[in-house]
Amino acid sequence: MSLALQPSGAVEIDGARVPYYDAGPHDSGRLPLLLIHGTAGNTNSHLGYLFPMLAYRQRVIALDLSPAPGQEQAELTVEDLVAQVMAVARQLLGPNQGFALMGYSLGAVVAAATAGLHPERVQQLVLVAGWIKTDTQQQLRNHVWRTLRQTVGEAEVLRDYMAFCAFSPAFMQARSLTDMQAAASAIPLSPWVDRQMALNSRVDITALVERIRATTLVIACSDDQMVPRHHSQALFGAIEDARYLELASGHAVVFERPAELFHAIDQFTRAPTAHAAGTRIPATRP
Amino acid sequence: MTSSHSTPDSASRQARLIIIGAGFAGLGLGMRLRQRGDTDFLVLERAADVGGTWRDNDYPGCACDVPSHLYSFSFRPNPNWSRVFSPGPEIQQYLRECARESGLLPHIRFGTDMLAARWQAERRRWLIETQHGDFEAEVLITATGHLADERLPEVPGLESFTGEVFHSARWNHQAELKGKRIGVVGSGASAIQVVPQMAEVASELVVFQRSAAYVIPRADRAYTAAEQRLFARDPECMHALRSEFFWNGEYNFAQRRNVPRYLQEAKDLALGHLARQVSDPVLRQKLTPDYEVGCKRLLISNDYFPALSRPNVTLEASALARVEGSQGVAANGASHTLDVLVLATGFEATRPPFAKRVFGSAGHSLDAQWDQGMQAFDSIAVNGFPNLFILNGPNTGLGHNSVVYIIEAQVDYLLEALDHMRQQQIAVLEADAQAEDAYMDALHQRSQGTVWLAGGCKSWYVDPRSGRLTLVWPDYAHAFRDANGHFHPEGYHPTPATPST
Repeated sequence: MSLALQPSGAVEIDGARVPYYDAGPHDSGRLPLLLIHGTAGNTNSHLGYLFPMLAYRQRVIALDLSPAPGQEQAELTVEDLVAQVMAVARQLLGPNQGFALMGYSLGAVVAAATAGLHPERVQQLVLVAGWIKTDTQQQLRNHVWRTLRQTVGEAEVLRDYMAFCAFSPAFMQARSLTDMQAAASAIPLSPWVDRQMALNSRVDITALVERIRATTLVIACSDDQMVPRHHSQALFGAIEDARYLELASGHAVVFERPAELFHAIDQFTRAPTAHAAGTRIPATRP
Repeated sequence: MTSSHSTPDSASRQARLIIIGAGFAGLGLGMRLRQRGDTDFLVLERAADVGGTWRDNDYPGCACDVPSHLYSFSFRPNPNWSRVFSPGPEIQQYLRECARESGLLPHIRFGTDMLAARWQAERRRWLIETQHGDFEAEVLITATGHLADERLPEVPGLESFTGEVFHSARWNHQAELKGKRIGVVGSGASAIQVVPQMAEVASELVVFQRSAAYVIPRADRAYTAAEQRLFARDPECMHALRSEFFWNGEYNFAQRRNVPRYLQEAKDLALGHLARQVSDPVLRQKLTPDYEVGCKRLLISNDYFPALSRPNVTLEASALARVEGSQGVAANGASHTLDVLVLATGFEATRPPFAKRVFGSAGHSLDAQWDQGMQAFDSIAVNGFPNLFILNGPNTGLGHNSVVYIIEAQVDYLLEALDHMRQQQIAVLEADAQAEDAYMDALHQRSQGTVWLAGGCKSWYVDPRSGRLTLVWPDYAHAFRDANGHFHPEGYHPTPATPST
């Protein structure tokens, strides 16, 4: 019995081999849901909780965004990643079928861009801790990261800094420094991560976001230091058919509040228009 | 108090609603009714105090396995909880305060046991027989809980025992324990709390364990006075903590759902705890479960394993097979001379005794109708039993979160049902048989592959007659509220109120 999710297959696109995961019932009455992980993640690390649990509700597809061999120095673009998403969608859903798309962090940028480029395919959209245009606060953090990366390489302090940015103060308060450093040590570093971080420093999908027609749920994390919630608010304002929900979490919501995130996504894909466009959905008070 | 918040006459024997039981469910419903100005109800309570399982379970060491800021009413937070997991008497005190403050006490008939409740179709009323005479209500609500009636083991010779014998929920506080040879039967949630206490006072303690339990660390600590004052001054901090506990609990449903990665995570936590606390390999082996984690209730304790390691404590990895005078004999043949026998053997959960006392429109009991196991539409109403609502009944237990949350969802449902009856001038609501079966089939589908059914254990969550999961809600707690937090009139047959002539 393997503890990790196993890919169901892979597609080749622009020289990259992109593994995908496909599970859950096809007769749930919901659109197939594609999931896109964030920076320095993959399906197992970022979506290890959401993917199997959502698959008890509906068909879910995820992919591992992947580098093409021999292009380690190339500048990564949002469009490169959109192409990987669409390649998986074409492979599993054919050329025409509509689907729902959820992206987290950089995955949310990719999801929003995909929805803007392919409004006929992406009918429902969930953007978790996403953004439209990298701003000064993010550039400054990215600059500190890049400087550390260039000077210390893969030293512990770089991962500690990443954990410091990713988790909320409240989450860390309930844990020890040792616990947090152990969590940090699991963060992967690689030339592929470097390229994603470089992309993060120069995102601007303003024009694409204007073209989004999907029924959209924007999810912000209240204590996000990497993608502060004003970015999600900007998406809420920019997308016509959007509703907005805020979760009490840092950027690392897939680790801090995976079950609450599951609930938000599950409720939305079951009844996407239960909240009218423009609604600020109140947080659950258990 | 406004005049609309009147209370029933002390001699009153009828009310629109009669609620059976004054534990978390009965009190929660009563508080919500009074909050909205509904006063036409009575609560029949067989004991002399409120509190339900927290009144009954006053054994040494009793505490809750759910953090107190979550295991309490959302509409009545308590900034003064002493600990993350507060002791049992503090929970009981909380419930007493809830009852008193909300003006519920005049509604409660203490020492009044529902002997039988019969639906009188012609009168459209429930007739409730008690040892203090009959009561009558339009709507009957049972709020008797899963942990109300103790389950006693069928041990041959138990009546011949020469010492003191009692169930953990019926603790004999007169029994002398100090320096005695004490046997504890069971290794469930009550046993692991009782054992460390008994180990302190007994000269010798023997634990009879039918099957080993998975035990994880208890992240308990006292709240400081400063924290308590902050909770009082800024209740948002309390709500934030409650949410954190709730969603952390919800996370663990992935274990019950049987997702390998999360199952392994729980197993590693439990077996790591065992390895750290028990160095003796023989004892550790006896304490290693032979079924999947979560199939039986996952327990939390920091002092159970250390207690078993004490020189005056013996763990028999074997059920108590028979009693011969002063001898407790385990199934493995080991015999122990005992002065006191504590039966920490749990409760009648899948076949609740209250069901033998409730008789529907066809004249048979709910227990008879449930001859293949409990079932109810929306986990609350049963075809053939008009105007009966069951709180904390079939498929409302949880293996991973606070049952108070489930109770509150059911109370919301019930209040909507009562409003619906009033607004639509409906006298009688009866669950549709097909809707009930469809609901149960859907739950059975949801249960497939969960660790309760696939985990290879015998537990109180599964009805042995049908093999179905009848006690537990087989999904997230939030999914219960989403599914059953609102009344569904389409699942009921309404009978209009007779127009007055």
